[in-house]
Amino acid sequence: MEQKQKILIVDDSELNRAILADMLDDEYEIMEAENGLQGVGLLQQRGAEISLVLLDIVMPQMDGFGVLEVMTQNHWIEDIPVIMISAETGSSHIERAYELGVTDFISRPFDALIVHRRVVNTIMLYAKQKRLANMVADQIYENEQRSSLLIDILSHIVEFRNGESGLHVLNVRTLTELMLNHLVQKTDQYSLSSSDISMICTASALHDIGKISIDEKILNKPGRFTDEEFAIMKTHSMAGAEMLENLPIHQDDPLVKVAYDICRWHHERWDGRGYPDGLQGDEIPIAAQIVALADVYDALTSKRCYKDSFSHEKAVEMILAGQCGAFNPLLMECLQELAPDLPTLMSDSNSVAQRDRREMRNVAQEMRRHEELTASERTLQLLEHERMKYSFFADMSKEIQFEFTVSPPMITLSNWGAEHLGLDEIIMDPMHQPDAQSVMEAVDFQNLTDALRSTSPELPVVTYDCKLNYKGAWRWTQIVARATWSSDEPPRYTGAIGKAIDIHDSRMKLNALERMASHDSLTGLLNHSYAKKRILERIETRPAASYALVIFDLDHFKTANDTYGHSFGDQVLIYLAEKLRQCIRGGDIAARAGGDEFLIFLEYKDDVEVVISRIFQSLCGQYEHFPISVSMGVALTTAVPGGYDALFHAADAALYTVKRSERGHYRFYDETMRQTLSVISPIEDGEAPHEDA
Amino acid sequence: MTLQECYAAMGGNYEDAIGRLRSERLVQKFVLKFLDDGSYALLCRSLEEKNYEEAFRAAHTIKGVCQNLSIDRLQGSSGRLCEALRGGYTPEADALAEEVQADYAQTVAAIQTFQKASMG
Repeated sequence: MEQKQKILIVDDSELNRAILADMLDDEYEIMEAENGLQGVGLLQQRGAEISLVLLDIVMPQMDGFGVLEVMTQNHWIEDIPVIMISAETGSSHIERAYELGVTDFISRPFDALIVHRRVVNTIMLYAKQKRLANMVADQIYENEQRSSLLIDILSHIVEFRNGESGLHVLNVRTLTELMLNHLVQKTDQYSLSSSDISMICTASALHDIGKISIDEKILNKPGRFTDEEFAIMKTHSMAGAEMLENLPIHQDDPLVKVAYDICRWHHERWDGRGYPDGLQGDEIPIAAQIVALADVYDALTSKRCYKDSFSHEKAVEMILAGQCGAFNPLLMECLQELAPDLPTLMSDSNSVAQRDRREMRNVAQEMRRHEELTASERTLQLLEHERMKYSFFADMSKEIQFEFTVSPPMITLSNWGAEHLGLDEIIMDPMHQPDAQSVMEAVDFQNLTDALRSTSPELPVVTYDCKLNYKGAWRWTQIVARATWSSDEPPRYTGAIGKAIDIHDSRMKLNALERMASHDSLTGLLNHSYAKKRILERIETRPAASYALVIFDLDHFKTANDTYGHSFGDQVLIYLAEKLRQCIRGGDIAARAGGDEFLIFLEYKDDVEVVISRIFQSLCGQYEHFPISVSMGVALTTAVPGGYDALFHAADAALYTVKRSERGHYRFYDETMRQTLSVISPIEDGEAPHEDA
Repeated sequence: MTLQECYAAMGGNYEDAIGRLRSERLVQKFVLKFLDDGSYALLCRSLEEKNYEEAFRAAHTIKGVCQNLSIDRLQGSSGRLCEALRGGYTPEADALAEEVQADYAQTVAAIQTFQKASMG
């Protein structure tokens, strides 16, 4: 049963859509969009299935002209006819609509019969045109296959007489193609287009047709030719050329002309000592020069009745050394540059050629079986199947999948992804669209597009971590995207496809673990080992600055613990840590260094004593009934060279000195304290093992 | 009340509608559907919010729907309002909006009466 063709109605009034749908839905399947943006989205997703668009002009989000502009940019307008229906009757509107490529313009109020007739006519016209285009394309394809098949058969017959493998023609063609492609990359001296190249390759198969006029006894003689035999053998090039020249028809065909050049001159030499005409240098057409080289290479690497085969390396060496003829130095360069990859390239493209032929046969058989189905329709069906498969898996996967195109700037989200992010499936101009911007920070969007733009077609994948807003909740997300590049030379960046993965929970876990490893669980200050790491980093970044390391502990802390209990002791520590946080500056580093010992690391410029004194004063006070008094030792980098450990020991020694003499004071380290002991004790819960004890 | 009488009551052109849409069934179906069309509500809301671009589009939609159904009177007033708002707000818009309001009320009343009659 034939499937109904699809019509897309884009109109913001439901009633208008319903009237149109009612007129058409007996014969056509109707798709509806309530604004231009939705229309563009449906065209992007399912354009290949849509046979006609009925388009209103005045609509929210994107008007009808906007839709036409997008359709023009993407060349959709060339395949999908548009009929505009509008209450706008100004001639400027109608003119603009036609300029933008609409097929027809119907003014409101419309007559149902006219709408119906015009829709049917337009669809029929386009379908006919499409069918004709398909027929022409299929026929060209078939013809091309047929003619190269005939050439292959013909040249195979020549080889067969010659007792050759049948691969010679194929090898010569492959090497000719490789050489030509390499040559045009090096120079445009010979101005060869890609169709010239393909013609030369096809014609190369005919280079030895003249051998059909040579006696088989001579052709297949195992030993050396006599002078007489060689003279006969040499006539094959001219003979081949004459056969082509005397063709009753097609003499002016470019393929025949190229084949003539190749037949006649593929035994000429660059130095002018070849046959039949003794042409010199670029007097010899480039096609003949290249086929000559390919012919020699394949003769060397193949087994013949008069010789064994040489290895690839040996063959190249012999040609480059001038042992097998004289060639254009430029071609020698090409051969030399191609040489390392040549064996792989040859076997690859030969097998591709053979596979192509096999596939061709399969496709041809398939097509005969389904005569009503043309190749192009088959492609469409496959495409439709792929699309269905893709959207099914996209929905199942519960992932945010997206597609981004540069022109028009547009993001298409998978159904699930759009719902999850609270966005539309189609977002036009995402850089300037407020909804899209509220989901991803502009700077992240910019970074991601920059990263994609700087990829290459060989390495197109980018991974980018950032926060996305999932309907109000910002969550860490990993975006893995693949840039898409056009197949032009040079390739153009056309957009990207990819998906966004929610990594928030694992990321948060990691952060928490990191925090647990770096912070003291009781006071929330840094622990000693992490503080040391930060201090070392600080000194390394600004080694010339002056720093002070301060260590202090609580006087009579043991009494507090003994009198009021350990949990009171913990309260005191928490209180003191809070005080400490309040009295230091943002850039300073504060840590709990041991049981009731704390550490401060700060940078200073002028009078450090004022700073220390201020900190000292603000730490002293009272917590509930417990008077808070601290003893403090200070070491300055200016006074204690030798890095962190020396600095720490010095501050520790200064603190010890205070403790031993008069608690409740602070002192700076000086040389007299060199021999003193340490006061630092391990933390009671054992979380931060003491490194410097 | 017949559909023809309904058209007379709302200042529409019954013959024209039947002539273009080719079937009484279709005209009746869509005239009844007119009651559910949200464009008028959108027009009122956007005028209140002084969103004249939206109001223009809403008036334009009403005009288009009326054209399709040959509801001539409302088509006339909504069309005039539409033109008054095409380039943004103009002072004529206020009076025209009132006109549209009156015509719309009349149209809806006629269709509702017809609806009751055709169901009963």
